[in-house]
Amino acid sequence: MKISILTNGNIMNWTRIAAVDEVEDDAGMPFKLDGRELALFRSGGEFFAADNVCTHQYALLTDGYVEDGCVECPLHQAQFDLRTGEPRCAPATQPIRIYPVKVEDEAVYVAVE
Amino acid sequence: MSPSNDASAPLVIVGAGQAGAMAARALRELGHAGKVVLIGDEPHAPYERPPLSKAVLADEQPPDVNLLPEPFLAQSGIVLQPGRRVVRLDAARRELHLDDGAVQAYRACLLATGGDVRVLPALPPGTPGVHYLRTLDDAQRLRAALRTARSLLVTGGGFLGLEIASTARALGLDVTVMELGPALLGRAMPPEVSRWLAARARAHGVRLHLGAQPSGLVPVAGGIAATLADAGVLRADLAVVAVGQVPNVALAREAGLLIDAGNGGIRVDERCRTSAEGVYAAGDCASGRDAATGTHRRLESWQNANEQARIAAAAMLGQDAEPPPPPWFWTDQFGCNIQMLGHGAPGLAYRLRGQLPEGRDPGKAMLFGIEGGRLVHVIAINAGGDLRAFRSVLGRPLACAPEALADPGIPAKQLARLALGPASA
Repeated sequence: MKISILTNGNIMNWTRIAAVDEVEDDAGMPFKLDGRELALFRSGGEFFAADNVCTHQYALLTDGYVEDGCVECPLHQAQFDLRTGEPRCAPATQPIRIYPVKVEDEAVYVAVE
Repeated sequence: MSPSNDASAPLVIVGAGQAGAMAARALRELGHAGKVVLIGDEPHAPYERPPLSKAVLADEQPPDVNLLPEPFLAQSGIVLQPGRRVVRLDAARRELHLDDGAVQAYRACLLATGGDVRVLPALPPGTPGVHYLRTLDDAQRLRAALRTARSLLVTGGGFLGLEIASTARALGLDVTVMELGPALLGRAMPPEVSRWLAARARAHGVRLHLGAQPSGLVPVAGGIAATLADAGVLRADLAVVAVGQVPNVALAREAGLLIDAGNGGIRVDERCRTSAEGVYAAGDCASGRDAATGTHRRLESWQNANEQARIAAAAMLGQDAEPPPPPWFWTDQFGCNIQMLGHGAPGLAYRLRGQLPEGRDPGKAMLFGIEGGRLVHVIAINAGGDLRAFRSVLGRPLACAPEALADPGIPAKQLARLALGPASA
Protein backbone atom coordinates (compact mmCIF):
# COMPACT_ATOMS: atom_id res chain seq x y z
CA MET A 1 0.00 0.00 0.00
CA LYS A 2 1.42 3.38 -0.98
CA ILE A 3 0.31 6.79 0.26
CA SER A 4 1.71 10.07 -1.00
CA ILE A 5 1.67 12.98 1.44
CA LEU A 6 3.09 16.46 1.09
CA THR A 7 5.47 17.11 4.00
CA ASN A 8 7.60 20.24 4.26
CA GLY A 9 7.04 20.83 0.60
CA ASN A 10 8.25 17.34 -0.36
CA ILE A 11 6.08 14.52 -1.56
CA MET A 12 6.64 11.61 0.81
CA ASN A 13 5.73 8.24 -0.62
CA TRP A 14 4.91 6.14 2.38
CA THR A 15 4.85 2.38 1.94
CA ARG A 16 3.35 0.06 4.51
CA ILE A 17 6.08 -2.42 5.51
CA ALA A 18 4.72 -4.36 8.46
CA ALA A 19 2.27 -4.46 11.29
CA VAL A 20 3.78 -3.13 14.52
CA ASP A 21 3.75 -6.55 16.16
CA GLU A 22 5.52 -8.25 13.23
CA VAL A 23 8.89 -6.92 14.39
CA GLU A 24 10.16 -7.87 17.83
CA ASP A 25 12.04 -5.39 19.94
CA ASP A 26 15.81 -5.35 19.31
CA ALA A 27 15.35 -7.18 16.05
CA GLY A 28 15.09 -6.42 12.36
CA MET A 29 13.12 -7.52 9.34
CA PRO A 30 14.43 -7.40 5.77
CA PHE A 31 12.32 -5.98 2.94
CA LYS A 32 12.80 -4.89 -0.64
CA LEU A 33 11.59 -1.66 -2.15
CA ASP A 34 12.33 -0.33 -5.63
CA GLY A 35 14.92 -3.10 -5.97
CA ARG A 36 16.79 -1.97 -2.86
CA GLU A 37 17.64 -4.26 0.06
CA LEU A 38 16.29 -2.48 3.13
CA ALA A 39 15.62 -3.27 6.75
CA LEU A 40 13.04 -2.33 9.33
CA PHE A 41 14.55 -2.38 12.82
CA ARG A 42 12.92 -1.99 16.21
CA SER A 43 14.94 -1.01 19.25
CA GLY A 44 13.75 0.39 22.55
CA GLY A 45 10.22 0.34 21.12
CA GLU A 46 11.20 2.68 18.26
CA PHE A 47 11.21 1.79 14.58
CA PHE A 48 14.02 2.55 12.14
CA ALA A 49 14.38 1.92 8.42
CA ALA A 50 17.80 1.59 6.88
CA ASP A 51 19.87 0.05 4.12
CA ASN A 52 20.21 -3.62 4.97
CA VAL A 53 23.66 -4.13 3.45
CA CYS A 54 26.77 -3.38 5.48
CA THR A 55 29.01 -0.72 3.92
CA HIS A 56 32.14 -2.69 4.80
CA GLN A 57 31.45 -6.01 3.09
CA TYR A 58 28.34 -7.67 1.73
CA ALA A 59 26.20 -8.92 4.62
CA LEU A 60 22.59 -8.38 5.62
CA LEU A 61 22.36 -6.34 8.80
CA THR A 62 19.08 -8.05 9.70
CA ASP A 63 21.23 -11.17 10.30
CA GLY A 64 23.15 -9.13 12.87
CA TYR A 65 22.56 -7.95 16.40
CA VAL A 66 20.33 -5.06 17.48
CA GLU A 67 20.70 -3.27 20.82
CA ASP A 68 20.47 0.28 22.19
CA GLY A 69 19.48 1.86 18.87
CA CYS A 70 22.41 0.22 17.07
CA VAL A 71 22.76 -2.66 14.65
CA GLU A 72 25.89 -4.77 14.53
CA CYS A 73 26.91 -6.50 11.32
CA PRO A 74 26.92 -10.31 11.55
CA LEU A 75 30.23 -10.62 9.69
CA HIS A 76 32.69 -8.34 11.47
CA GLN A 77 30.69 -6.55 14.19
CA ALA A 78 30.77 -3.12 12.57
CA GLN A 79 28.13 -1.04 14.38
CA PHE A 80 25.76 1.51 12.88
CA ASP A 81 23.67 4.06 14.71
CA LEU A 82 20.06 3.51 13.60
CA ARG A 83 19.16 7.20 14.03
CA THR A 84 21.96 8.62 11.90
CA GLY A 85 23.34 5.64 9.99
CA GLU A 86 26.87 6.59 11.07
CA PRO A 87 29.32 3.79 11.82
CA ARG A 88 30.09 3.59 15.53
CA CYS A 89 33.11 1.34 15.25
CA ALA A 90 35.50 -0.30 12.82
CA PRO A 91 35.76 -1.97 10.41
CA ALA A 92 33.01 0.11 8.72
CA THR A 93 33.86 3.70 7.85
CA GLN A 94 30.90 4.64 5.61
CA PRO A 95 27.36 5.25 6.91
CA ILE A 96 24.25 3.31 5.94
CA ARG A 97 21.26 5.31 4.70
CA ILE A 98 18.38 5.89 7.08
CA TYR A 99 14.83 6.45 5.82
CA PRO A 100 11.82 8.20 7.39
CA VAL A 101 9.47 5.94 9.33
CA LYS A 102 6.01 6.50 10.76
CA VAL A 103 3.60 4.36 12.72
CA GLU A 104 -0.11 4.66 12.01
CA ASP A 105 -2.97 2.37 12.92
CA GLU A 106 -0.61 -0.30 14.27
CA ALA A 107 1.33 -0.37 11.00
CA VAL A 108 4.83 0.83 10.12
CA TYR A 109 5.33 2.96 6.99
CA VAL A 110 8.63 3.84 5.34
CA ALA A 111 9.36 6.61 2.86
CA VAL A 112 12.10 5.82 0.37
CA GLU A 113 13.12 8.41 -2.16
CA MET B 1 70.48 15.35 33.18
CA SER B 2 67.60 13.13 32.28
CA PRO B 3 64.77 14.31 30.03
CA SER B 4 62.46 11.73 31.58
CA ASN B 5 60.28 14.23 33.36
CA ASP B 6 60.00 16.53 30.39
CA ALA B 7 56.26 17.15 30.34
CA SER B 8 56.56 18.76 26.93
CA ALA B 9 57.89 15.55 25.34
CA PRO B 10 55.31 13.87 23.10
CA LEU B 11 53.49 10.61 23.45
CA VAL B 12 55.25 8.29 21.02
CA ILE B 13 53.88 5.13 19.46
CA VAL B 14 56.35 2.68 17.96
CA GLY B 15 54.67 0.61 15.28
CA ALA B 16 52.01 1.91 12.90
CA GLY B 17 49.85 -1.17 12.47
CA GLN B 18 46.33 -1.76 13.78
CA ALA B 19 47.24 -1.26 17.46
CA GLY B 20 49.51 1.72 16.86
CA ALA B 21 47.08 3.56 14.61
CA MET B 22 44.08 2.89 16.82
CA ALA B 23 46.01 4.04 19.90
CA ALA B 24 46.91 7.30 18.17
CA ARG B 25 43.26 7.79 17.27
CA ALA B 26 42.17 6.91 20.81
CA LEU B 27 44.55 9.45 22.37
CA ARG B 28 42.73 12.16 20.43
CA GLU B 29 39.29 10.74 21.16
CA LEU B 30 40.16 10.75 24.87
CA GLY B 31 40.89 14.44 24.69
CA HIS B 32 44.67 14.55 24.52
CA ALA B 33 45.60 17.69 22.61
CA GLY B 34 49.39 17.41 22.94
CA LYS B 35 51.85 16.04 20.43
CA VAL B 36 51.45 12.42 19.28
CA VAL B 37 54.15 10.79 17.16
CA LEU B 38 53.43 7.54 15.33
CA ILE B 39 56.54 5.84 13.95
CA GLY B 40 56.25 2.92 11.52
CA ASP B 41 58.96 1.06 9.63
CA GLU B 42 56.81 0.37 6.57
CA PRO B 43 56.63 3.00 3.82
CA HIS B 44 52.81 3.09 4.06
CA ALA B 45 50.31 4.88 6.22
CA PRO B 46 48.67 2.51 8.75
CA TYR B 47 46.38 -0.06 7.15
CA GLU B 48 44.13 -2.96 8.10
CA ARG B 49 45.55 -6.44 7.74
CA PRO B 50 42.45 -8.70 7.64
CA PRO B 51 41.76 -7.95 3.93
CA LEU B 52 45.36 -8.78 2.92
CA SER B 53 44.63 -12.50 2.61
CA LYS B 54 41.26 -11.93 0.92
CA ALA B 55 40.03 -8.87 -0.96
CA VAL B 56 43.49 -7.35 -1.48
CA LEU B 57 44.57 -10.57 -3.22
CA ALA B 58 41.36 -11.27 -5.07
CA ASP B 59 39.26 -8.21 -5.85
CA GLU B 60 39.41 -6.59 -9.27
CA GLN B 61 39.47 -3.25 -7.45
CA PRO B 62 41.38 -3.82 -4.19
CA PRO B 63 39.66 -2.24 -1.18
CA ASP B 64 40.84 0.85 0.65
CA VAL B 65 42.62 -0.50 3.72
CA ASN B 66 43.87 2.82 5.11
CA LEU B 67 43.24 3.14 8.87
CA LEU B 68 43.94 6.86 9.22
CA PRO B 69 42.68 8.59 6.07
CA GLU B 70 44.50 11.78 5.13
CA PRO B 71 41.71 14.22 6.14
CA PHE B 72 41.57 12.66 9.62
CA LEU B 73 45.34 12.60 9.94
CA ALA B 74 45.66 16.26 8.96
CA GLN B 75 42.84 17.33 11.25
CA SER B 76 44.10 15.27 14.20
CA GLY B 77 47.63 16.63 14.04
CA ILE B 78 49.03 13.13 14.67
CA VAL B 79 52.61 13.16 13.41
CA LEU B 80 52.94 10.06 11.26
CA GLN B 81 56.50 9.04 10.45
CA PRO B 82 56.43 6.11 8.04
CA GLY B 83 59.59 4.41 6.80
CA ARG B 84 61.48 5.00 10.05
CA ARG B 85 62.84 2.31 12.32
CA VAL B 86 63.42 2.57 16.05
CA VAL B 87 66.58 0.67 16.89
CA ARG B 88 66.88 1.25 20.63
CA LEU B 89 64.63 2.08 23.55
CA ASP B 90 66.24 3.77 26.54
CA ALA B 91 63.51 3.44 29.13
CA ALA B 92 65.54 5.12 31.89
CA ARG B 93 66.09 8.28 29.84
CA ARG B 94 62.74 8.02 28.03
CA GLU B 95 64.35 8.16 24.64
CA LEU B 96 63.99 6.28 21.39
CA HIS B 97 66.94 5.98 19.01
CA LEU B 98 66.17 5.78 15.31
CA ASP B 99 68.12 4.11 12.52
CA ASP B 100 69.15 7.47 11.06
CA GLY B 101 70.76 8.49 14.34
CA ALA B 102 67.90 10.71 15.47
CA VAL B 103 66.79 10.60 19.11
CA GLN B 104 63.12 11.00 19.99
CA ALA B 105 62.30 11.84 23.60
CA TYR B 106 58.94 10.72 24.97
CA ARG B 107 56.75 11.31 27.97
CA ALA B 108 55.08 7.93 27.50
CA CYS B 109 55.80 5.35 24.82
CA LEU B 110 53.62 2.59 23.39
CA LEU B 111 55.27 -0.42 21.81
CA ALA B 112 52.94 -1.67 19.10
CA THR B 113 55.61 -3.49 17.17
CA GLY B 114 53.46 -6.44 16.08
CA GLY B 115 55.19 -9.48 14.72
CA ASP B 116 57.13 -10.87 11.82
CA VAL B 117 56.35 -13.99 9.85
CA ARG B 118 57.93 -17.19 11.09
CA VAL B 119 60.44 -18.14 8.41
CA LEU B 120 61.33 -21.64 7.26
CA PRO B 121 65.16 -21.61 7.25
CA ALA B 122 65.29 -23.52 3.94
CA LEU B 123 63.03 -20.93 2.25
CA PRO B 124 64.14 -17.45 3.30
CA PRO B 125 62.04 -14.49 2.10
CA GLY B 126 63.15 -13.59 -1.39
CA THR B 127 63.46 -17.20 -2.55
CA PRO B 128 62.01 -17.24 -6.10
CA GLY B 129 58.45 -18.54 -6.13
CA VAL B 130 58.13 -18.38 -2.34
CA HIS B 131 55.82 -15.90 -0.60
CA TYR B 132 55.22 -14.93 2.99
CA LEU B 133 52.28 -12.70 3.93
CA ARG B 134 52.35 -10.07 6.62
CA THR B 135 52.57 -6.64 5.00
CA LEU B 136 50.71 -4.76 2.28
CA ASP B 137 53.81 -5.07 0.06
CA ASP B 138 53.80 -8.84 0.64
CA ALA B 139 50.11 -8.92 -0.36
CA GLN B 140 50.68 -6.90 -3.51
CA ARG B 141 53.53 -9.18 -4.61
CA LEU B 142 51.39 -12.24 -3.95
CA ARG B 143 48.42 -10.67 -5.74
CA ALA B 144 50.55 -10.18 -8.86
CA ALA B 145 52.00 -13.70 -8.64
CA LEU B 146 48.56 -15.32 -8.25
CA ARG B 147 47.49 -13.76 -11.54
CA THR B 148 50.05 -15.65 -13.60
CA ALA B 149 50.40 -18.87 -11.60
CA ARG B 150 48.27 -21.94 -12.17
CA SER B 151 49.11 -23.82 -9.01
CA LEU B 152 49.82 -22.91 -5.41
CA LEU B 153 51.26 -24.86 -2.53
CA VAL B 154 50.38 -23.47 0.90
CA THR B 155 52.49 -24.59 3.83
CA GLY B 156 50.57 -24.15 7.05
CA GLY B 157 46.92 -25.00 7.65
CA GLY B 158 46.26 -22.20 10.13
CA PHE B 159 43.84 -19.30 9.68
CA LEU B 160 46.12 -17.35 7.33
CA GLY B 161 47.14 -20.34 5.19
CA LEU B 162 43.53 -21.44 4.81
CA GLU B 163 42.30 -17.95 3.90
CA ILE B 164 44.97 -17.70 1.21
CA ALA B 165 44.08 -21.19 -0.04
CA SER B 166 40.40 -20.21 -0.19
CA THR B 167 41.18 -16.98 -2.06
CA ALA B 168 43.46 -18.78 -4.54
CA ARG B 169 40.76 -21.40 -5.23
CA ALA B 170 38.27 -18.62 -5.90
CA LEU B 171 40.79 -17.22 -8.40
CA GLY B 172 40.86 -20.61 -10.11
CA LEU B 173 44.26 -21.89 -9.05
CA ASP B 174 45.02 -25.50 -8.32
CA VAL B 175 45.67 -25.43 -4.56
CA THR B 176 47.42 -27.82 -2.18
CA VAL B 177 47.68 -27.23 1.56
CA MET B 178 50.31 -28.98 3.68
CA GLU B 179 49.84 -28.91 7.45
CA LEU B 180 52.37 -30.33 9.85
CA GLY B 181 49.79 -31.10 12.53
CA PRO B 182 47.23 -33.90 12.41
CA ALA B 183 44.28 -31.46 12.09
CA LEU B 184 43.44 -28.02 10.71
CA LEU B 185 43.37 -25.28 13.36
CA GLY B 186 44.07 -28.01 15.89
CA ARG B 187 44.90 -25.65 18.74
CA ALA B 188 41.98 -23.27 18.24
CA MET B 189 39.14 -25.60 17.30
CA PRO B 190 37.64 -28.85 18.58
CA PRO B 191 38.22 -31.97 16.44
CA GLU B 192 34.68 -31.94 15.00
CA VAL B 193 35.24 -28.45 13.57
CA SER B 194 38.71 -29.36 12.26
CA ARG B 195 37.23 -32.38 10.46
CA TRP B 196 34.36 -30.32 9.10
CA LEU B 197 36.69 -27.60 7.84
CA ALA B 198 38.96 -30.16 6.15
CA ALA B 199 35.93 -31.59 4.34
CA ARG B 200 34.81 -28.07 3.45
CA ALA B 201 38.23 -27.18 1.99
CA ARG B 202 38.28 -30.42 0.00
CA ALA B 203 34.74 -29.76 -1.29
CA HIS B 204 36.14 -26.47 -2.61
CA GLY B 205 38.80 -28.40 -4.51
CA VAL B 206 41.76 -28.00 -2.14
CA ARG B 207 44.15 -30.95 -1.92
CA LEU B 208 44.88 -31.28 1.75
CA HIS B 209 47.82 -33.12 3.32
CA LEU B 210 47.79 -33.32 7.10
CA GLY B 211 50.82 -34.44 9.10
CA ALA B 212 53.02 -33.22 6.23
CA GLN B 213 56.59 -32.14 7.02
CA PRO B 214 57.50 -28.80 5.41
CA SER B 215 61.17 -29.94 5.35
CA GLY B 216 60.68 -31.53 1.94
CA LEU B 217 60.12 -28.16 0.22
CA VAL B 218 62.71 -27.12 -2.36
CA PRO B 219 62.77 -24.39 -5.00
CA VAL B 220 63.01 -25.82 -8.51
CA ALA B 221 63.10 -24.20 -11.94
CA GLY B 222 59.83 -22.29 -12.41
CA GLY B 223 58.37 -23.13 -9.04
CA ILE B 224 58.62 -25.24 -5.95
CA ALA B 225 58.65 -28.96 -5.24
CA ALA B 226 57.59 -30.80 -2.13
CA THR B 227 58.08 -34.41 -1.18
CA LEU B 228 55.16 -35.80 0.74
CA ALA B 229 55.13 -39.12 2.55
CA ASP B 230 51.61 -39.91 1.34
CA ALA B 231 51.69 -38.39 -2.14
CA GLY B 232 55.22 -38.48 -3.52
CA VAL B 233 56.65 -35.40 -5.20
CA LEU B 234 54.37 -32.45 -5.79
CA ARG B 235 55.17 -29.44 -7.96
CA ALA B 236 53.58 -25.98 -7.88
CA ASP B 237 54.21 -22.65 -9.58
CA LEU B 238 54.08 -20.80 -6.29
CA ALA B 239 54.46 -21.47 -2.60
CA VAL B 240 53.06 -19.53 0.31
CA VAL B 241 54.57 -20.23 3.70
CA ALA B 242 52.12 -19.40 6.51
CA VAL B 243 53.52 -21.14 9.57
CA GLY B 244 52.85 -18.48 12.15
CA GLN B 245 54.16 -15.28 13.55
CA VAL B 246 57.00 -14.31 15.86
CA PRO B 247 56.29 -11.30 18.09
CA ASN B 248 58.60 -8.40 17.42
CA VAL B 249 60.02 -7.75 20.89
CA ALA B 250 63.70 -7.01 20.20
CA LEU B 251 63.44 -3.37 21.35
CA ALA B 252 61.71 -4.38 24.55
CA ARG B 253 64.11 -7.23 25.27
CA GLU B 254 67.21 -5.13 24.72
CA ALA B 255 65.73 -2.43 26.97
CA GLY B 256 65.40 -5.02 29.72
CA LEU B 257 61.59 -5.18 29.74
CA LEU B 258 59.97 -8.34 31.06
CA ILE B 259 59.26 -10.78 28.22
CA ASP B 260 56.93 -13.74 28.78
CA ALA B 261 58.93 -16.93 28.38
CA GLY B 262 55.80 -18.88 27.51
CA ASN B 263 54.46 -16.86 24.59
CA GLY B 264 57.37 -14.55 23.76
CA GLY B 265 55.29 -11.39 24.20
CA ILE B 266 56.05 -8.23 26.17
CA ARG B 267 54.50 -8.72 29.59
CA VAL B 268 51.82 -6.10 30.38
CA ASP B 269 49.22 -5.67 33.12
CA GLU B 270 45.47 -5.00 32.70
CA ARG B 271 46.28 -1.42 31.73
CA CYS B 272 48.89 -2.43 29.14
CA ARG B 273 51.79 -1.21 31.29
CA THR B 274 55.09 -3.03 30.75
CA SER B 275 57.67 -3.61 33.47
CA ALA B 276 59.30 -0.24 32.61
CA GLU B 277 57.85 3.02 33.85
CA GLY B 278 56.27 5.05 31.05
CA VAL B 279 56.39 2.19 28.54
CA TYR B 280 53.23 0.45 27.37
CA ALA B 281 52.64 -2.36 24.88
CA ALA B 282 49.62 -3.40 22.80
CA GLY B 283 48.62 -5.76 20.01
CA ASP B 284 50.36 -8.85 18.65
CA CYS B 285 53.60 -8.10 20.54
CA ALA B 286 51.98 -7.88 23.98
CA SER B 287 51.32 -10.62 26.49
CA GLY B 288 48.23 -9.30 28.22
CA ARG B 289 46.81 -10.26 31.56
CA ASP B 290 43.40 -11.86 31.54
CA ALA B 291 41.62 -10.38 34.56
CA ALA B 292 39.30 -13.38 34.95
CA THR B 293 42.02 -16.04 35.17
CA GLY B 294 45.12 -14.02 36.04
CA THR B 295 47.01 -15.78 33.25
CA HIS B 296 48.90 -14.04 30.46
CA ARG B 297 48.10 -14.56 26.80
CA ARG B 298 49.42 -13.14 23.59
CA LEU B 299 46.55 -12.74 21.14
CA GLU B 300 47.10 -12.21 17.44
CA SER B 301 43.79 -10.66 16.52
CA TRP B 302 42.29 -7.52 15.09
CA GLN B 303 39.98 -7.13 18.08
CA ASN B 304 42.79 -7.51 20.61
CA ALA B 305 44.85 -4.88 18.80
CA ASN B 306 41.91 -2.46 18.93
CA GLU B 307 41.05 -3.18 22.56
CA GLN B 308 44.59 -2.99 23.90
CA ALA B 309 45.16 0.19 21.87
CA ARG B 310 42.14 1.77 23.57
CA ILE B 311 43.22 0.62 27.04
CA ALA B 312 46.87 1.61 26.56
CA ALA B 313 45.90 5.06 25.27
CA ALA B 314 43.77 5.67 28.36
CA ALA B 315 46.57 4.47 30.64
CA MET B 316 49.10 6.74 28.90
CA LEU B 317 46.81 9.66 29.78
CA GLY B 318 46.26 8.45 33.34
CA GLN B 319 42.62 7.67 32.60
CA ASP B 320 40.59 4.59 33.42
CA ALA B 321 39.22 2.43 30.63
CA GLU B 322 36.40 -0.06 30.38
CA PRO B 323 37.74 -3.62 30.58
CA PRO B 324 37.87 -5.43 27.22
CA PRO B 325 34.99 -7.58 25.99
CA PRO B 326 35.67 -11.33 25.67
CA PRO B 327 38.19 -12.32 22.99
CA TRP B 328 36.56 -12.43 19.58
CA PHE B 329 38.00 -13.63 16.32
CA TRP B 330 36.75 -14.16 12.78
CA THR B 331 37.93 -15.82 9.62
CA ASP B 332 36.30 -15.82 6.17
CA GLN B 333 37.07 -18.90 4.10
CA PHE B 334 35.46 -21.40 1.73
CA GLY B 335 32.20 -19.47 1.68
CA CYS B 336 31.89 -19.38 5.47
CA ASN B 337 32.25 -16.68 8.07
CA ILE B 338 33.58 -18.43 11.17
CA GLN B 339 33.65 -16.56 14.47
CA MET B 340 34.83 -17.43 17.95
CA LEU B 341 34.19 -15.99 21.39
CA GLY B 342 36.52 -16.97 24.23
CA HIS B 343 39.05 -19.77 24.02
CA GLY B 344 38.91 -23.52 23.56
CA ALA B 345 40.97 -26.00 25.55
CA PRO B 346 42.07 -29.56 24.82
CA GLY B 347 39.31 -32.03 25.61
CA LEU B 348 36.61 -29.36 26.03
CA ALA B 349 33.14 -30.78 25.35
CA TYR B 350 30.88 -28.94 22.87
CA ARG B 351 27.15 -28.81 22.21
CA LEU B 352 26.20 -28.35 18.58
CA ARG B 353 23.26 -26.11 17.62
CA GLY B 354 22.09 -26.63 14.05
CA GLN B 355 24.10 -28.60 11.53
CA LEU B 356 27.57 -27.95 10.17
CA PRO B 357 26.94 -27.00 6.52
CA GLU B 358 27.93 -29.87 4.27
CA GLY B 359 29.97 -29.67 1.09
CA ARG B 360 29.71 -26.21 -0.42
CA ASP B 361 26.29 -25.45 1.10
CA PRO B 362 25.71 -22.28 3.03
CA GLY B 363 23.91 -22.82 6.31
CA LYS B 364 24.60 -21.96 9.89
CA ALA B 365 25.62 -23.67 13.08
CA MET B 366 27.02 -22.90 16.50
CA LEU B 367 29.09 -24.85 18.99
CA PHE B 368 29.13 -24.15 22.69
CA GLY B 369 32.16 -25.23 24.72
CA ILE B 370 31.19 -25.75 28.36
CA GLU B 371 33.54 -26.35 31.26
CA GLY B 372 32.54 -26.64 34.91
CA GLY B 373 29.04 -25.41 34.14
CA ARG B 374 30.30 -22.25 32.42
CA LEU B 375 30.29 -21.28 28.79
CA VAL B 376 33.95 -20.73 27.85
CA HIS B 377 34.05 -20.96 24.05
CA VAL B 378 31.47 -20.25 21.35
CA ILE B 379 32.05 -20.99 17.67
CA ALA B 380 29.63 -19.69 15.04
CA ILE B 381 29.56 -20.69 11.41
CA ASN B 382 27.64 -18.12 9.35
CA ALA B 383 25.89 -17.12 12.57
CA GLY B 384 27.75 -14.03 13.76
CA GLY B 385 24.58 -12.23 14.84
CA ASP B 386 23.61 -15.22 16.97
CA LEU B 387 27.11 -15.48 18.45
CA ARG B 388 26.97 -11.83 19.48
CA ALA B 389 24.05 -12.58 21.79
CA PHE B 390 26.33 -14.81 23.89
CA ARG B 391 28.98 -12.20 24.66
CA SER B 392 27.41 -11.49 28.03
CA VAL B 393 26.99 -15.21 28.80
CA LEU B 394 30.65 -16.13 28.34
CA GLY B 395 32.42 -17.08 31.56
CA ARG B 396 29.21 -17.01 33.61
CA PRO B 397 27.62 -20.04 35.24
CA LEU B 398 24.95 -21.41 32.90
CA ALA B 399 21.43 -20.95 34.25
CA CYS B 400 20.02 -23.49 31.79
CA ALA B 401 20.77 -27.12 31.02
CA PRO B 402 23.69 -27.36 28.54
CA GLU B 403 21.52 -29.35 26.13
CA ALA B 404 19.11 -26.42 25.90
CA LEU B 405 21.82 -24.53 23.99
CA ALA B 406 21.63 -27.15 21.24
CA ASP B 407 17.99 -26.33 20.47
CA PRO B 408 17.91 -24.40 17.19
CA GLY B 409 14.19 -23.79 17.72
CA ILE B 410 14.87 -21.11 20.33
CA PRO B 411 16.07 -17.75 18.91
CA ALA B 412 19.64 -16.89 19.93
CA LYS B 413 18.75 -13.83 22.00
CA GLN B 414 16.11 -15.73 23.94
CA LEU B 415 18.56 -18.59 24.47
CA ALA B 416 21.21 -16.19 25.77
CA ARG B 417 18.70 -14.76 28.26
CA LEU B 418 17.83 -18.29 29.34
CA ALA B 419 21.52 -19.09 29.81
CA LEU B 420 22.07 -15.95 31.90
CA GLY B 421 19.10 -16.74 34.11
CA PRO B 422 16.85 -14.43 36.11
CA ALA B 423 19.89 -12.56 37.51
CA SER B 424 20.26 -10.91 34.11
CA ALA B 425 16.81 -9.38 34.14
